[in-house]
Amino acid sequence: MEELLQLLTETCPGIDFAGSEALIDDEILDSLDIVTIVSAIMDTYGVTISVDDLVPENFNSVAAMLDLIQRLQA
Amino acid sequence: MSFTSLTFLVFLGVLVVLYYLVPRKFQWALLLLASYAFYLWGGGKTVVYLLITTCSTYLAGRLLGGLNRRLKALPAEERKAKKPSFDRRKKQVVLAACLLNFGLLYILKYWSFTAEVVNNASGFHLPAPDLLMPLGVSFFTFQSIGYVIDCYRGKYAPQEHLGRYALFVSFFPQIIQGPIARYDQLGPQLLGEHQLDWDQLKYGIQLCMWGYFKKLVIAERIGVMVNAVFADVWGYSGSMMAAAVLGYSIQLYCDFSGGIDITRGVGQMLGIDMAENFRRPLFALSLTEYWRRWHITLGGWMRDYVFYPIALSSGFRKLGSFARKHFGGVMGKIFATSMATFVVYFVIGIWHGANFRYIAYGFYNGGLITAGLLLEPTFVKLRERIPIRWDGKGWHLFQMARTSLIVFVGRYMTRAPRLITALAMIRATVTDFQLQSFTDGTLLSFGLTAFDYWVVALGMVVVTAVEWYQEKGGHVRKWMEGRGALAQWAMVMVPLLVIVLLGAVGQGYVAAEFIYAQF
Repeated sequence: MEELLQLLTETCPGIDFAGSEALIDDEILDSLDIVTIVSAIMDTYGVTISVDDLVPENFNSVAAMLDLIQRLQA
Repeated sequence: MSFTSLTFLVFLGVLVVLYYLVPRKFQWALLLLASYAFYLWGGGKTVVYLLITTCSTYLAGRLLGGLNRRLKALPAEERKAKKPSFDRRKKQVVLAACLLNFGLLYILKYWSFTAEVVNNASGFHLPAPDLLMPLGVSFFTFQSIGYVIDCYRGKYAPQEHLGRYALFVSFFPQIIQGPIARYDQLGPQLLGEHQLDWDQLKYGIQLCMWGYFKKLVIAERIGVMVNAVFADVWGYSGSMMAAAVLGYSIQLYCDFSGGIDITRGVGQMLGIDMAENFRRPLFALSLTEYWRRWHITLGGWMRDYVFYPIALSSGFRKLGSFARKHFGGVMGKIFATSMATFVVYFVIGIWHGANFRYIAYGFYNGGLITAGLLLEPTFVKLRERIPIRWDGKGWHLFQMARTSLIVFVGRYMTRAPRLITALAMIRATVTDFQLQSFTDGTLLSFGLTAFDYWVVALGMVVVTAVEWYQEKGGHVRKWMEGRGALAQWAMVMVPLLVIVLLGAVGQGYVAAEFIYAQF
């Protein structure tokens, strides 16, 4: 979790990832942020995130993103 | 049948009465009948295009749903092995649906332009038949293709009943100018059973009246002056050109957002909550935010079906890796995404029509937004060095004014007849700005009186005040409900009187189409 949080903070500085459970629903992240985050996750974790995975439930919180990564790694 | 015609009001009145009288299980069928009657009234023979799009995307949805179902039913191991083959077939279905429907859209909307450019450049004689443009073709094509792609992605199961799907594509309030709906949001509402809710009916009527106020009192009125200047654009000074473009900006906003208010109001009267298409773009602090607030459903469509697939494609990912390796820093991180953003805004530009001015409009928006993204690190450093309150009201007002100015310049391109004219008008605005033309009576030579200008100005004050209240979190119609019965009655009657007395109706009035209907 800490490693992902650090990656996210480096990728999109200025966004409080740890303090929100509704990053998409509350429009804290926009489409550009999402694509930047997706690229960073794919490069770092070696997973393939497809367009179909780009739903709010997968990106609303750090825990949700970690869950997505773990599912794709399984 | 224009929303602003008496025929439409009668049509709507009869429909609403029948809608709540027929057995609820037939409500969707009544809406389908009404939608096709509405389309045939305005679109005539071009209904054939609507039918082609409806049938082809319905079929594509069914095929994709079948493939998804069959794949899901396979045992895990077999599913994994056969997934690539299923994916390939699904892609073929989507490709066929896109080629047919976007191909039709291309022929109808862009072929004349292509033929003209090719013929001028090469001396060929490509035929350019004058095809009749189907009503709302861009809107129903985009909406249907969105449905096909969602079926491809397995977002939901396809609609199996052709008639019910046909209602989703043809629903009459939205077919002229959107909003571009998603099936999972609109479909269940269209097909659901609705009981008469007096509050919803009242809210719907109020929202329609607000839309009519913007369209008939403001947009139609200022449109007279805009048309007069653009009919003889070189007969006026740069300042009058700027005034006409400002007038056009007001006209376009009140016309489009007013039309959407009527659309959503009609939906609400029928118990259907349609997607929001505007979120007070006047208050946008940047061009990116402006596009998130203006024509929201088109932006959302572009994001989900163009931006994400491009940005996450292997080509753009390779470009991203290249940029990170060679540029480094923030620039390296966002370079590929910025390029994808540019493509999206370029597509939005040409979505408006086939003309060099729309291509330029796409470049203008895409270029500015991309430059803003790439230069953001520099702006951050600059902001750290300049000691002013970056979160203060003054800075916010400046950002709003800056955004409005950028949008205003872009409007030259969307209203001028040709790109070269738009550029020359921008030049004239700077080099030939004559303040005295605002006081020497020129403004009164366009067919509007001083009273008309006051009506437009006060109308815009009302629109801005209402939007400011909404921007602060206020809900106008709920606020109205908190007043006494007399005040509530007055708040319905006064706008109605304003529309009747000051709206562009009465003798000699020709029900006007909405500007976005042509896109």
